[in-house]
Parts: sequence; structure tokens; C-alpha cells
Amino acid sequence: MIQLLSRHREATLFLVLVVLFTGFALTTENFLDWFGLAEQTRYLIVPGMLAIPMTFIIATAGIDLSVGSIVAMCGIVLGLLYRDAQWPIALACLASVIAGLLAGTFNGAMSSYLRIPPLVVTLATMTLYRGIATGLSRAKPINQFPDGFVHLSNGDLIATADNAFYLPFPILPLVIVSIVGWLLMRKSWVGRFTEHIGENETAAIFAAIPVAHLKCALYAVCGLVCGMGALFNVALYSTAKSNAAMGYELEAIACVVLGGTRISGGKGSIPGSLLGLLIIGILRYGLDLAGFESKFVIIVVGILLIVTVVFNEWLARQGEQQK
Amino acid sequence: MSKPVLSLQGIQKRFGGIYALHKVDFAIKPGEVHGLIGENGAGKSTLINIATGLFPHDAGTVHLDGHPFKPDTPRAAATQGVYVVHQEADLFPQLSIAENMLLGEGLERNALGLIQWNKTNAHAARRVAALGESFNVRQDAAGLTVARRTMAEIATAVTHKPKVLFLDEPTAALSSNEIDTLFQQIEILKKQGTAIVYVSHRLNEVLQLSDQITVMRDGATIETGPVADWSMDRLIATMVGRSIEHGAGKREVPIGGVRLDVQHAQATTKAFNDITLQVRAGEIVGLYGFVGAGRSEFAQALFGLHPMHNGTVKLDDVPINIKNPRQAVKQGMAYLPEDRLVQGVFRGHSLKHNASVSILRKLSRFGFINNQKETDLAAQVITDMQVRTDSMDQPIGTLSGGNQQKIVFGRWQATAPKVLILDEPTRGVDVGAKAEIHKLICDLAEKGTAILLISSELPEIMSMSDRVITLSEGHQTGEFIPERDGEVAIAAAAVPKQQKDSCTSTKKASRLAKLLEFREAGLFAFILLLCAIMTGLRPDSFATTENFLDILVRAAIPAILAQGAMFIICTGGIDISIGSMMGLTAALTAMATKQGLPPIPTLALGMGLGILLSTLNASLSLIARIHPIIVTLAGISIFRGSMHLVTGGHEITLMPDTFRAMANGTLMGIPKICYYVIFVTAIAHIILRYTLTGRRVLALGNSESAAQLIGLSKTRLTCFVFAFSGALVGLAAILQTGFYGKVQSNCGEGYELQAIAAAVIGGTNILGGRGSAIGTLLGAFLIALVYNGLILLEASAYWQNIFVGSLILAAVALDAFLTRMRRAAQ
Repeated sequence: MIQLLSRHREATLFLVLVVLFTGFALTTENFLDWFGLAEQTRYLIVPGMLAIPMTFIIATAGIDLSVGSIVAMCGIVLGLLYRDAQWPIALACLASVIAGLLAGTFNGAMSSYLRIPPLVVTLATMTLYRGIATGLSRAKPINQFPDGFVHLSNGDLIATADNAFYLPFPILPLVIVSIVGWLLMRKSWVGRFTEHIGENETAAIFAAIPVAHLKCALYAVCGLVCGMGALFNVALYSTAKSNAAMGYELEAIACVVLGGTRISGGKGSIPGSLLGLLIIGILRYGLDLAGFESKFVIIVVGILLIVTVVFNEWLARQGEQQK
Repeated sequence: MSKPVLSLQGIQKRFGGIYALHKVDFAIKPGEVHGLIGENGAGKSTLINIATGLFPHDAGTVHLDGHPFKPDTPRAAATQGVYVVHQEADLFPQLSIAENMLLGEGLERNALGLIQWNKTNAHAARRVAALGESFNVRQDAAGLTVARRTMAEIATAVTHKPKVLFLDEPTAALSSNEIDTLFQQIEILKKQGTAIVYVSHRLNEVLQLSDQITVMRDGATIETGPVADWSMDRLIATMVGRSIEHGAGKREVPIGGVRLDVQHAQATTKAFNDITLQVRAGEIVGLYGFVGAGRSEFAQALFGLHPMHNGTVKLDDVPINIKNPRQAVKQGMAYLPEDRLVQGVFRGHSLKHNASVSILRKLSRFGFINNQKETDLAAQVITDMQVRTDSMDQPIGTLSGGNQQKIVFGRWQATAPKVLILDEPTRGVDVGAKAEIHKLICDLAEKGTAILLISSELPEIMSMSDRVITLSEGHQTGEFIPERDGEVAIAAAAVPKQQKDSCTSTKKASRLAKLLEFREAGLFAFILLLCAIMTGLRPDSFATTENFLDILVRAAIPAILAQGAMFIICTGGIDISIGSMMGLTAALTAMATKQGLPPIPTLALGMGLGILLSTLNASLSLIARIHPIIVTLAGISIFRGSMHLVTGGHEITLMPDTFRAMANGTLMGIPKICYYVIFVTAIAHIILRYTLTGRRVLALGNSESAAQLIGLSKTRLTCFVFAFSGALVGLAAILQTGFYGKVQSNCGEGYELQAIAAAVIGGTNILGGRGSAIGTLLGAFLIALVYNGLILLEASAYWQNIFVGSLILAAVALDAFLTRMRRAAQ
């Protein structure tokens, strides 16, 4: 049983997903409404995008608590450059992505080269980047973005004529980021080395893996993806604000941990993280429809995170003992 | 003849499938010095660890004074009179030497249970003086040379008048004067009837001191006899033994030109000095020496893992300058590390992945791994190395030690190195695997690889090497041809000679770093400086009593929370949920008050709730054995969400005056809330500085393993610090509600970072082990002062958060910098 669970984590998660889905479908009215389900996915896109690089970081036994703050900061950079500096929207978007890359590189350099634990660095930059967002925007929201831009998150990828069936456009970037993440994790040496670092960092150094450079790069790319996520987050609400993306770090980490990536590193699963995202998404939607407050959902996510972490570690220890 | 005080009979000990000890009989009488010698890995350390309770034995019996003796912990062994002085002392680097010496048995305390530092230090100083040493016992242990650490440990052990004292390589780091002192102490202890087990590679010392000598080899005691029966030559011969299992040895292969040429290599750490050697194509050069000879350090420096201070390295006549292992591999070097579990394998990963790691990038195109090539490579390694396995996809951790070693060997062989350094290639592998590995080494030599073979087993060195170079305490002591010179000559050259005078003087850290050490004073000066600047800039609004009180009030709540955060950080943990926890507690207690609960019971309720929630955080992270950051990250949203659920998202206002009177208003012109801060800081200071619990918290944060050695409970201490923090969260919640007369839905938000920042700025080491209540208070004040200054300077209040984040980073980076300076100074 234990072996089954740890070996077929993704299958187990899929089963949980199906059970949840059926459960909600049977008990909650309007759950099986395509419009509602499709609209709901728009809100999952950004946490989902963040969960992909987070999977790599947690696989090295690191953590990035600053992702939500980077998303907010990049959103403000985008908004200010577009509104106040009158940059073309495309250029402003590019600047947002670069801002994210810089923020991530700072995290990575501080933790990899100065050897300050990443949780301390990113805890501090979580406040720092949020503070920059607040300071730059003076805590005032920025809105009135062009329609084309807003369509990034609110447009549709495919739609039938009567809108009975459609897929939201932002699914596309999430799918692209996930595929790139999966290819890197499973098919390239980047993912392999990432897992080696998390499994045994000393041995990784002795095996001539460029540990510090690689870790720094992972945080940098994580920042980059945050910068991209910022575009979709701003477009979704047609607003850039400094308190945007609050708690996204929790959601992203919860997806990753739920997906079977151990917090102590050594293994990362992109499909797992996506299944984690779907489970959290369905829970959120179902509980919402069933009339629970959004605050209640956050509690559920928090408890889910703790329970899975404890479960993951227990599972791993059982596995060790069987050997 | 007196009876033995300690005796071990038929002791066996296995690690995994390998016998570390398989036949050990050892006995020692009171007042006897018993020399214990053997090569590295002969089992001496395992014997000591079993006798002193570090781990249990599998078979055989141990008796102390004729009674069965099976201590669970080193602490338990010590209480029964069995002590050990380890070669590398496991210390609490950020605690004073006096504390390191006395914490295990208890520091000097007064009737109230508070620590009396003067007495404690005097006690420690007396012990040190009794050894004829004179160093400052108040100094941090981190600033101590290895020699003095050893002396401090010996001093501690000696004052207990132990029944049995194990000395494991005590003279390795000592200068000749210190060794004389040590020998005098040993004489005194002997007269008192202490039995002393003296473990050393310095055979002349053993011959000089011992009454009896036992020689160990391959996990067994080989021979015991009175010192008169032994001579240096016979000791070496017995120690080295004759091995029959190395049948084949090295094959004759043609020797080519020089591939590796090292001239005058020297380590920055002085682990090795002036090593000059050459290895030719097809040649195997053995590097032989005992613990502390500097063999692995030399090999790792060649491979780019440690910086080399001096010297030139040429590969195939081309000078190379290797800075990291990647460059080394590119140049054609490979290094099979000594410690397979720590430095070699990725235990949970498959055989295939373990085999391919070093050439994975060569098996890839555009970053993508060619699966077929990788599988072929792994299959090749498995066949070449004759690894016995069903599948290359099974985790390497499930294989035997020998097979694991072959995979790691194969990983390096696959890089087709010009120079291969093998560090203890057959340690901990069974006889069959050993012979196979030897054959593989010969195969590589045949292909023209230059091989540097490091081994502690002389038979292996003898049978495999074309030439042998001996190292002793970092110096090259000779070059031999095995068949011509014989093993006794080689072993004799490797045995550490008499005491070199090790450099005992510590270089002084730079003045800047020294100054920065006085964190509280520096912080205070910085605060004064900021005040002076502000007074200059805003004389009318800043330098007023009113404004000063405003800063104090602003600092109060974070200051109280920060004392709890400081304790948690001291153990190496963190709690980022305290802000939300405070919000939830404030809401619940405010509702209770509204229901008519009087103030004092409400206070108790609030602190109780805080303790409950916080201990929950601690328990979960202890159960899952993960860093508390994850649990408390989830805690943020759970507590905040619960708060919204109970309040329905509304503010709770109109708190009764009797309740508000606890926190609101002034007493003797000073806001009441400030008295709470002073009280809490005083309590925190006393606990941290003057109670055993406080010192144990610091000890745990310094070194978990050393804390375990003296019998401290991680669970208990962790729960204590979280409960303490929880109580303060409860107090802060009530004070905040009382002060403002309401609970807002964002009550406590952001306070966790202010609290952590205050603690870290105040000199608490974010990695644990060092903290200061006064510093934390000053830190909280500094943050409030910066906020206040920003407002007065009409800087946008929106920029405030940037300062908290930057201050944490600056404080942590400063700490990292100081640690590095300190290390550089040693």
C-alpha cells in the first residue's frame, strides 16, 4: 500500500481529483457548468505558473517565499511604465519580465554565493519586493489597460459560436511553461542535476556539478516566470496593485508539496505539481459554490499543505525502513 | 594483580552488512595506561564509541567494575565514570569555553537556580590552570585553536577523576610543551587509579607512556602485551600484518611519460605543505599516511574542491590552474571520494543516474539527455564493473557498499580521465568486491591512466603501487619502491614523528570585525547617531518628549513579539505565523471580554491560546522533522482565515475601559505599555543568560549533535521556545487591543517580519546559537525610529516595508561577513 502510494503518486493524485470532482458534482448544484469551470481556471493560471519553477527550487531543498511579492512588484513596474512613462504595452511587458529576472537573480545570488539560507533571503525579499511595489505605486491601484492586453487573461483560446464550449486563453501560457518545465525536469541535465543537488549537495559538488551556479539560475528563472505571471495577473483584473498576488507563495508551495515533491529535496514532479494545482482549484471552486467564504478556502489550503508535508515525510521514512 | 575495571569480550559490531568489529577482547586495570594502536579503519574508534555509549554493540559483553555496562548515551557513560576526549572535539562554537566545559554537568547556580557566571568561569579557569594552561575561559570556543580545545576537554575530563579515560589522538594538535603537560596529567591520573586508554599513531609516545599495548587490525584485537615485549619494529609489523587476500596485485604494464606533475603544493589551511610528486602514464603511485597526514586534503585541492595556496600543477606538461571540479574534469582529472555515503552516491536515485552524472552533459544535445546513450553507458558501467543488480533503475541505496562503490568508480572511469585519484577505493567493501576493484584499477593503468592511490591499508598500497609516497602530518616524508623497501620502512616513514610545534597563535581578526562583534554597543551607537541626524534635520518635531514616547509606543508590540522570535531563532527555527496568530488571539480574547470575562482571566486566556497555537506549530514540525518555516507558512493563512471566520470580517470595537486600563494610558508619565516591554525583556534576558534552559536552547542552536552528546532533548527545548513565543504573542494581542480599544481585521499583519528583523538586527544568529534580549529590544527600537524618521522627513510611508526587508538582509549579510572574517583569522 505504502509502496503503491509513493510509486504512483501521480495516479493517486489523479484518483483524489476524480473523487473530489465527482463528489462536488453530485452534491453541489451548478458545479458541472462549463462556464463556471472554465472561468475558474483563469484564477489558477498564475499560481500554476509559479508552481513550475517552485518545483525545481524545492527539489534542490530550497524555497522561494518571495514569488507573490515579485508578481506584485512586476505588475506595478508594468503599470507605471505603461501609464506614467507612456511606454508601449509590449515594451512595458518586457520590462516586467526583466524586473522579475533581476529580482530572482538577487535571491539566487544572495543564497547561492553568500550562502545565506534561501528561506531567510526570500523571507526578507518577500517584504522588500512588496515594499518596492507599495512605494512605487504609493499603494494606489493602476488601471485602464488596453483591451488587447486585458485579453491575455480574459480572452478565449478556442470558442464555439454559442460559447457553450470554450477554453480561456491563459491556459496556453500555463501549458507552455509546464511543458518547458517538464522537458527540463525529465529530459535534460538541468532537472537531473537539480534533483541530485537536493538528494545530496556534497556529492553533487564532488561529482563536478556546478551547484552554486545552477541554484542561482533556478532562482533567477523563478523570478522570470514571476515577471511573466505578473502580466497575466494584471490583465486578469485589468489592475496593477501592490497588494496583488498575496499568498500566492503559499498556493504555489502547496501545489508542489501536494504533487509529491518532498520539502527536503531530491525529487521533483511537474505533472504532480499540476495535479496539485487542479486539486486546490477544484476545492476552491467547489467550496465557493457550496457557499463557503474565500477565507475558509485559504484555511483548507493551509491545512492541506501541513497534512501533505507530514504525510510525505512519513511516506519517505516508511520507504527508507523497508530497505 | 588487581581486577580489570573495564573489560570487553567478544565484541562484534556491524554497519549494514559490513563488520566494523568482529572479534574484540580488551581489558584495562585501574592505574594502567593501555596503548591502543592500529591503522585507520582498524576499529579503534568503533571500540571507543561502544565503550562510551555512542552506539550499542551487536554481540559480546562489556563489564565495568565487574557489572554489565551498557550506557545508552555518552552522558550516561560519563556519570558512571567513563570519559572520552575525542580527537576533533564537537563543540558549541558560539558559547564560551567555560560553558562548553561545564554545560553537560551543570553550571554553577545560586539558590534561585540562576547561573553564577563568576563562579562558573572561576571553576573552569581552575580546571584549566590545573593543566598548567592559561587561556581566557570566557572566550568563544570558535576562537580557540584545536590544541586549546583539546586541552579544555582534557581539563574537563581530568577534574572528574574518571575511572576510565579514553584519549583519542590527544596529541595530534598539541605543541611539545602542551604534550609535556598532558603526560604529567596522565601520570597524576594513573596514581589516582584512573585507567587510561591511549590511542595514537605516534608510536614512540605509546611506547613511552603505556604499561600495556594492544594492536588492532581489520576490526579485531590482534595482540596484547606488556610494553617491555614491544618494540617499534614489532608494533609496526603487527599493525600492518600480512594479508593474503590481495592475491593478484598490480599487473606489469608499460610505464609512459609524466602525466601529472605537482611541484611544491601547499594548502591555504596548512593541511599539507610542499608536496612534490609525479605520476606517469600507466603508473600507480600510492599515497600512504595516517589520520591528519593531509592526503585527502591534497587530493581534493588537486581536484579544485579547496583552494591551493602555492605550487604548480602540470597535466601532460601543460600548466593548469583548476578552480573548481568542473574545470578539473574538463582537464581530464577524476577523483573518487573517500566517504562514499556523504560525497559519493545519491542514495535515492537510480543506478543509471548515479553512473551517468559526471558525463551527463556529454550525453546531451542542446541540453536534452540522449536516453539511449545514457542507458548504454549505464549498461557498460554495470558490465565493466561487474555490478550485481537486477535493474539499472533501482535506487543505488539498495545495493551493497561494494556495488555502490563500483558504480561511483564507473562514473569516473566513464570520463576517460588522464589522471585518476582514488581515495580509499576499497574502504568498507567486502573481499570479493575489493579484488574486482583492484583489477579495474589495473585495467585503467593499462590504458595509460596515471593513478594516484590513497589508502590506509598498507597491504593494498604494497600490492598495487609502483611507487609509494608517504605523508605525515602534512609533510612528504619519503618515496619508496614497495618490493625493494618493504612495508615496515614505509609504515615507519608514515608514523608521525615527534611533536612539531604547531602554531598556537591566532591571528587577530581585523579591527573592523572586532568592533562589529560588540553588537549591542554598536547598535546603541548607531541609534544615537540616527537620533543626532534627525535632531539636526528636524529639530522642532523630532527632539520632543512627545515624539520620543511615540517611538517607544510604536516599538512596544514588535519588541514583545521579537523576544519570542529571538528564542525560536536561537534554536535555528523560525515562526512566520506570529502576526496572524496575534490577530486570531486578539479576536478571540476581545470576544471573550465582550462576553464579560474580566481582564486578568482574559490575559491568561490570551497567553494560553498563544501557547497552544505555537506549540501546535512546534509539534507538527517536530513530527514531520521539517523546518518550521513550512508549518508556520501554512499557519499564516490558517490563523488569519480562522480570525476572519470568527469575527465575520468585522472589527471588534468599543472594548470596556477596565480592559483598556491594562495597556492604555500612562504611569508616571510613561505609557503603561512600555513597562510591559521592560518586564518582558528582563525575563527574556534572565532566561537566556542565567538559566540552564536558556543556555541549553543556545547549545541546541549551536550544534544539534553536540547537544545530543550531553543529553539535551530537542523536542523539549523546541516546545519550550515556541511556548514562550506563544505566551508573548498572547500578551501582545491583549496589549494591542487594550491600547487601541479595538481589533481590526489586519491586526498583527507584518509584525512577524518586524519581530524577526528586530531579533536579527539585535545580533541573533539566523542559523541559531546566539541571541541577545537587549540587542533585540534595541533592534525593535531602531525599526520604530526609522519609521518615525521617515514620517517626519515626509518620505512616503509606503516605503517603510522596504526598510524592514533590507534591514533583515543587511543584518544577515553582516553576520555572514563576520563569520567569514573570523574563519579567515583562524
